Amino acid sequence: MSQDDRYKEIIKTEMAKLNRPVTLKVFTCKEKQPSGSQIRECMDCGQFMALLRVYEENSNGMLTIEELCIDDNPEFAKQYDISRVPTILFIDDQGREVIRYLASPKAGEIQPFIQAIFAFAGAPNYYEKTIEQNLNRIEPSTIKVMITETCPYCPQVATVVNNFAIASKGKIRSVIIDIMANPDIGQYYDAAGVPYTIINDKKTIVGMVGAPEILKALIGGNVRVQY
Amino acid sequence: MFNFDMEDIDLEKTFDLIVLGGGPTAIGCAIYAARFAMDVLVIGKTFGGLIATTHLVENYPAITTISGQGLMEMFREHMNSLNIPYISDEIRSIDKVDDHFELHSFFQKFKANSICVATGSERKKLGIPGEEEFVGRGVSYCATCDGPFYVDKVVCVIGGSDSAAKEALFLSQNVRKVYIIYRGEEIRAEPINKQRVYNNDKIEIIYNTNVVEIKGETNVKSVIFDNGKEFEVDGVFIEIGSIPNSDLAKRIGVKINEKGEIIINRKSETNIPGVFAAGDVADAPFKQAITGVAEGVVAAYSAFDYVKEMNIEY
Repeated sequence: MSQDDRYKEIIKTEMAKLNRPVTLKVFTCKEKQPSGSQIRECMDCGQFMALLRVYEENSNGMLTIEELCIDDNPEFAKQYDISRVPTILFIDDQGREVIRYLASPKAGEIQPFIQAIFAFAGAPNYYEKTIEQNLNRIEPSTIKVMITETCPYCPQVATVVNNFAIASKGKIRSVIIDIMANPDIGQYYDAAGVPYTIINDKKTIVGMVGAPEILKALIGGNVRVQY
Repeated sequence: MFNFDMEDIDLEKTFDLIVLGGGPTAIGCAIYAARFAMDVLVIGKTFGGLIATTHLVENYPAITTISGQGLMEMFREHMNSLNIPYISDEIRSIDKVDDHFELHSFFQKFKANSICVATGSERKKLGIPGEEEFVGRGVSYCATCDGPFYVDKVVCVIGGSDSAAKEALFLSQNVRKVYIIYRGEEIRAEPINKQRVYNNDKIEIIYNTNVVEIKGETNVKSVIFDNGKEFEVDGVFIEIGSIPNSDLAKRIGVKINEKGEIIINRKSETNIPGVFAAGDVADAPFKQAITGVAEGVVAAYSAFDYVKEMNIEY
């Protein structure tokens, strides 16, 4: 079995376990043909959507991938500040953006993406209790995690940050960025190493970082724990 | 947690065995423990351990060649097939309470009848000026993570081990030039990798040299050798060995040798009954994924025996 087939098998096996409905919005861009039909304009969007359909098709109808063309949905794109495609958004029932993916959920990124889908759908979130206990000490935050496809540590940081965002009731927003697909973002932050985690464009943590360190950096002090 | 249907798993219960670590040793131990019908939980800071950063694994029997990350995906698949729960967290203290152990993290308190410490090791740092300052801006400890940033650039790998040779070979696929900078007279790589390095036109070895400083502005620009020479590079990959992650074990009274490794016997037992250890954190002289897995498997069997003696029925 090739590595790609193995990854597809993982998606099929794990997505079949999803037992709560969840919808993700994916922004792409399309071009109108003289015939009136539309084709996807961005180079990555076709492959990107094909991969997301694998997730959707193996979820027993629990996952809905809603593809939105930025040109057809300018207000929505403006509301969520969509400046590049493809972009995946996890939006909660109050309309708040919880997770943004500027990365394809393939290879090592399959695991954090599936875990985010499950937790977003309401599955148990290991970090929820501690995040809730410390919620009043956390400022509204955006955590950006820059990753590369070959980085073995990146999926773990993405998992933690996504779960923090889901547990934070709208206080934390997670942005997962493939730095090779978005080199301008990497250059903007002078990042030449991954995982590269940035909290509110101020605190930067380079390299593998565990959940306790990210939480401490968010709070700016010791974590309050009550088992 | 990698198991997405974890709703049935009760984290408040007393586990037969909690394995600390996320590398092949830890997962190998957990797989055997699950097959012994033990209630087992794995808690790791980094799933995959150091081997996940290896570009190519060619010495794991029955698998001719695979990336370190690919190998660990197979471990994960095997672990998931046995419904072994894995939690991404770090234990900061362990107490012995009556006949069991209590393990504390920032997120949860766990209880276990036995523990296997398979926390592996982490990369050593050089401790020279500029190293910390340029981490993520030219200084790296992981070629598979950061190699893609150096396409057509000039980099150096500091170290002379087999791992250093493999990092240089991986980097040579995309960079313009790789210099291996080694303090000794001949690199210590496995003969097959040594030959690959010698045959690679993009790799050059600078012997008998130490790097004493890393310099740059926004990003790394050069390194300074111990002979005073300034040498221009765009990236510095540090691969000078590793140190065992044994601090937690030490704090609970587990005996450690002068290298910081946990002392174990052939049953993977430590000096504390119920605490086992295996893999890179333990005191075996030859550390490989396969030897770590073997020690982890022995630890699982010993833990099974230990818990059985506690008169817990299966």
